[in-house]
Amino acid sequence: MDRSNKIDRREAIKRTALLIGGAVFAPNALGVLQGCTAQPGVNWEPVLFTDEQARLTSALADVIIPKDEYPSASEAGVPAFIESMINDIYTDEQQAEFLEGLDAFADKSRLELGGEYYESAEEDRYEFTYNENQNSLDINRGQDAPFFLRFKELTILGYFTSEVGATEVLRYEPVPGMYNGCMPFEEVGKTWAT
Amino acid sequence: MNLNVKAKKQNTYDAIVVGTGISGGWAAKELTENGLNTLVLERGRDIKHIEDYPTALKDPWELPYADRLTEEEAKQYKKQMRTGYTVRQSTKHWWVKDTDQPYKEVKRFDWMRGYHVGGRSIMWGRQSYRLAPMDFEANLREGIAIDWPIRYDDIAEWYDYVEGFAGISGQPEGLPQLPDGNFLPPMELNCVEQKLKESIADNFDRTLTIGRVANLTQQHEGRGPCMYRNRCDRGCPYGGYFCSNSSTLPAASATGNMTLRPHSIVNSIIYEEDEGKATGVRIIDAETLETEEFYADVIFLNASTMNSTMIMLNSKSDRFPNGLGNDSGELGCNVMDHHLGVGASGDIDGFEDRYYWGRRPNGFYIPRYRNLNENNREYIRGFGYQGSASREAWQRGVRELAVGMELKELLREPGSWTIGMGGFGEMLPNHDNKVYLSETETDKWGQPILVFDVEFSDNTYRMREDMKNDAAEMLEAAGAKNVEMFDDPGGPGLGIHEMGTARMGRDPQTSVLNKWNQVHSVKNVFVTDGSCMTSAACQNPSLTYMALTARAANYAADQLKKGNL
Repeated sequence: MDRSNKIDRREAIKRTALLIGGAVFAPNALGVLQGCTAQPGVNWEPVLFTDEQARLTSALADVIIPKDEYPSASEAGVPAFIESMINDIYTDEQQAEFLEGLDAFADKSRLELGGEYYESAEEDRYEFTYNENQNSLDINRGQDAPFFLRFKELTILGYFTSEVGATEVLRYEPVPGMYNGCMPFEEVGKTWAT
Repeated sequence: MNLNVKAKKQNTYDAIVVGTGISGGWAAKELTENGLNTLVLERGRDIKHIEDYPTALKDPWELPYADRLTEEEAKQYKKQMRTGYTVRQSTKHWWVKDTDQPYKEVKRFDWMRGYHVGGRSIMWGRQSYRLAPMDFEANLREGIAIDWPIRYDDIAEWYDYVEGFAGISGQPEGLPQLPDGNFLPPMELNCVEQKLKESIADNFDRTLTIGRVANLTQQHEGRGPCMYRNRCDRGCPYGGYFCSNSSTLPAASATGNMTLRPHSIVNSIIYEEDEGKATGVRIIDAETLETEEFYADVIFLNASTMNSTMIMLNSKSDRFPNGLGNDSGELGCNVMDHHLGVGASGDIDGFEDRYYWGRRPNGFYIPRYRNLNENNREYIRGFGYQGSASREAWQRGVRELAVGMELKELLREPGSWTIGMGGFGEMLPNHDNKVYLSETETDKWGQPILVFDVEFSDNTYRMREDMKNDAAEMLEAAGAKNVEMFDDPGGPGLGIHEMGTARMGRDPQTSVLNKWNQVHSVKNVFVTDGSCMTSAACQNPSLTYMALTARAANYAADQLKKGNL
């Protein structure tokens, strides 16, 4: 029997997006941050990104995970993390694709926003990003993940494996000490970081 | 002359154990506890319990690159990374670099190795199941390969014994196809796993039980208990699970009878034709590249299936031109593993207000239910499932429609409950599935490298249809939505349960080892790792290696005392 009939389109999107990640565990860019000279709008010293790419990365990461009672993505060191992943984890081919995607994102935002993404109004940036996210989820059908989803993945990965993301935004217990397989959610209160 | 005699005496022991993994640790413990002065050889570096677990206490943000290998690092671990989950920043020091430890593949074979004291007992999955009476009888009943020379009753008390020391937590179920053991209290199923358990009992009359696992649910032999960190494969600073480093090697060391020599790559076994037995082993010091010989009355090969076989194949003499003990021509043949990577997953509604505490290093197990009393499928033998349920966490954020505050808020609450299971299927022994020494290529120590020529059979592929469909059917019957099947066998070896290349049997013409794991034609050489397996069953095999090793070591010590070796 063909089980795929039971799967609606939204679920299909959900599943294919899973292809991006692979195992997801821990990083942090604290080491990268130390002893670096920051550029305007950029809180680390880029080794791969151009100044414009670095600014765009910081701005976009902060739209995906903005500051509220907890720090924003850039405050948690996410942009530097993203660059280090692109620089050291991605293959040359994946890296080139990502940088191409980043530049294409900049071009498109310039057209639609009438200026640099990182200089645009907050609401405009949000709306543009929201639409990019939706479009990317729509076109991601088991093919290579679109640029935006790769960027979003790295942002989320960097943020929730950072110390503040794991221990303050989410719940983290390095040594749980016991296992309870069925307890009221309120007693945990937040998503487990790991 | 005098010097040689003295040197020989210095290098002479009662027993030599080659390898320090799951089975080597047990051989060391049992032989030393029997009063034998024992040399334990390990090809890799020394790893001291706790102090040599460099990443054990690292938090996520202390591991670079989200725990992934860099592109440069990944180039060194190409084959080891075929599992997709084992080689990370936090574990890479446990896996061999394929660039240093090459092997050849006539057909794809995924050979996962850890060369250090403790071997793969540090990174193993810890699932610990007994083979059943039917597993020891299956070959005879079906006319497959050769009969096991032992039956369940020969090994039952040794299962009791090794479980008692190792510490296996589990739930007795009274199933003939999966005998109960000497268990510590079981871990808990979570609510969604409990729901599946009830559903498959009602709808299919099948059993789901918590995994039987070598993690300690209470303090045991001065170790543990498990702290539910689920970071076992970095090495456990609490001694929360069984590995050689925390358990058997300290016991062996405590006797005062063990000499552990790391960096010792065994090249071959020395065979004396006049005496009709082995007198020792020849090693290459991995650091100095010097060769040296060590001598003993009895030798235990526990170098892991493929490496024990490699050593025997490389031990050529006039008497054994095709490798030590290889009168049958079966040495290196009958490679088996468990085939996996097939099953299903789905979402379960109705437990949105429920969550869990702790990272349980274990899942559920569905024991074999196919072909139990008669063969009524399009294949023979069977499979079990391992699986677990959990709630989706922040990783799901990538595919959420939300960005910004909305996304951040959303991810602070867990997502759907998902449940999945994957089968572990029995692979049949086949003479044509083999490993042999390359005649042209050597590694950097001058040792011939291994060549793999192994493939799955039609029986495997027919079984996988059931493994896939049954999993989906059980999940759907339990009310799972979005049920999705998966089926990617990878290469043989991916189960990391390689076995069978020096099988036990009754007849020296068709097997390498006898019922005591002795080489038929060289009685003072015992082989008790996975290479001894006559069939694979579908259960995770390490517990059986432990039991066979303890049994053989105590037999060897007894025979030595009686002057029979």
